[in-house]
Amino acid sequence: MFGPIEGLVWLWLNLLSPQPAPQPAAAEQAGAPSSAPQTGPVSGYMDFHYNQPTDGTPGILDFHRFVLLFSHSFSDRLRFVSELELEHGVVEGLEEGGELELEQAYVDFLVRPSLNFRAGMMLVPVGIINERHEPPVFHGVERPFVDTVIVPTTWFDVGAGIHGSFGRGFRYRAYAMAPLDAREFSAEEGLRGGAQHGSEAQVRNVAFTGRLEYVGARGLQTGVSFWRGDTGFNLPRIDTKAGLFELDARFSRGRLETRGQFARVFIDGAGALNDAMGRLTGIDPNIAEQLIGSYVEVAYRVLPASVPHEAAVFVRYENFDTQFKMPDGSVKLPQFDRDAWVVGATYWVDPDVAIKLDYSHVRSGSAIVPPPRSINVGLGWWF
Amino acid sequence: MVVLLVSGAAAGHGQSAPPPRVIHIVAERFLFTPSEITVEEGSVVELRITSEDTDHGFRLRGLGDVNLTVPKRGRGDVRVTIEANEPGNYVFECSHVCGAGHGFMRGALRVKARRSSGGTR
Repeated sequence: MFGPIEGLVWLWLNLLSPQPAPQPAAAEQAGAPSSAPQTGPVSGYMDFHYNQPTDGTPGILDFHRFVLLFSHSFSDRLRFVSELELEHGVVEGLEEGGELELEQAYVDFLVRPSLNFRAGMMLVPVGIINERHEPPVFHGVERPFVDTVIVPTTWFDVGAGIHGSFGRGFRYRAYAMAPLDAREFSAEEGLRGGAQHGSEAQVRNVAFTGRLEYVGARGLQTGVSFWRGDTGFNLPRIDTKAGLFELDARFSRGRLETRGQFARVFIDGAGALNDAMGRLTGIDPNIAEQLIGSYVEVAYRVLPASVPHEAAVFVRYENFDTQFKMPDGSVKLPQFDRDAWVVGATYWVDPDVAIKLDYSHVRSGSAIVPPPRSINVGLGWWF
Repeated sequence: MVVLLVSGAAAGHGQSAPPPRVIHIVAERFLFTPSEITVEEGSVVELRITSEDTDHGFRLRGLGDVNLTVPKRGRGDVRVTIEANEPGNYVFECSHVCGAGHGFMRGALRVKARRSSGGTR
């Protein structure tokens, strides 16, 4: 019988030890059919995790995301890509539970590097995480708070637009998309509930979004993005608009990886929106005129090159306020002015399989409402 | 016409052939760095492509059947040698679905026409 130590050794030797890396010469290929990627027609990513609050409440084990990507090339210039996601393991009718989401389903019309057309269900091109969210590529069991309550990832909707490269390392996307529904905004999570997700979306006025990136220097990627659109189409005589401005950068050199992001949300007509929602539902949602958030993250790959696997430690500081500026007559609630420290480690069993551990410490301005603090363990993979 | 060769076959050009210019390309979700490469007509270049994360593909459009697998981070590189004999802009792209932004992972290889020396200078 194996004891626990022998079991771990067996696991290391048989499951976790990687295959010997090929030497560069062995990896030479020349486009012969045998060099085609060894992959099936379906790709995807998954992650599940355990969150243990430190206040003694029971922990939660959640199969958070099960995502499959399907693609098809009609020709060199005409392609279909889709991303279907099941969140929280199960979807049950009429009960609060998981979500089945069609996050992407678009056709690309590739004309030339500087101008291509895209139409269908698309990711909103805002921020780092929304378009780059495979679990092995970001640190932390959960996505950053800023990418949850300020930039409402995963943010997707129906629309059409253009994308391409200007040259010299500059890339862009510019889309017209279904607008956000202001009835679903909240004080705690801002725009998050407002995406129509292409579900018989109302488009009396479309929203516009775009992103400009610079990726011309090795190890450095920067971007600026925006969103602007009407939001009050389901509220008679209410003229509200939502705008978002975002800046981000990632830089890596050697073992060091850093990233940072700043985002600010503007909700024009938030006072009228609160009044209208109060009359409609009896509850004033206390939506803010402005939301703001930013974070900085530093990670360092710690294992020596002689070790076959990789591991990194990281620390992230976030500051986010979903009631940064309130409309006249509304009261700012201190529990929504928050900051957070997240410290932890990522261990890559394989470049596509990450084991994550972190501690998340959220603080707020409220002495009454305790902010969440938790120890989190997760496993995420891509195939 | 641009001719593609296995890296190790470049020596077949004879002893007088100069060594190819080596260009290192890093692939990661969802870009190639550099994503724009300019070479002179008639030059021979060796592309050495590594990945910073998952498996990627490297497909060079308009230059025959070039479709390579770029191995995962830490597992070596993939190399291809190119004789840039015909001016033009050639698109390269990731041919292995690598994530939500896979469709943006493209670049261009520009073969710049050589200035006519014409023997008159």
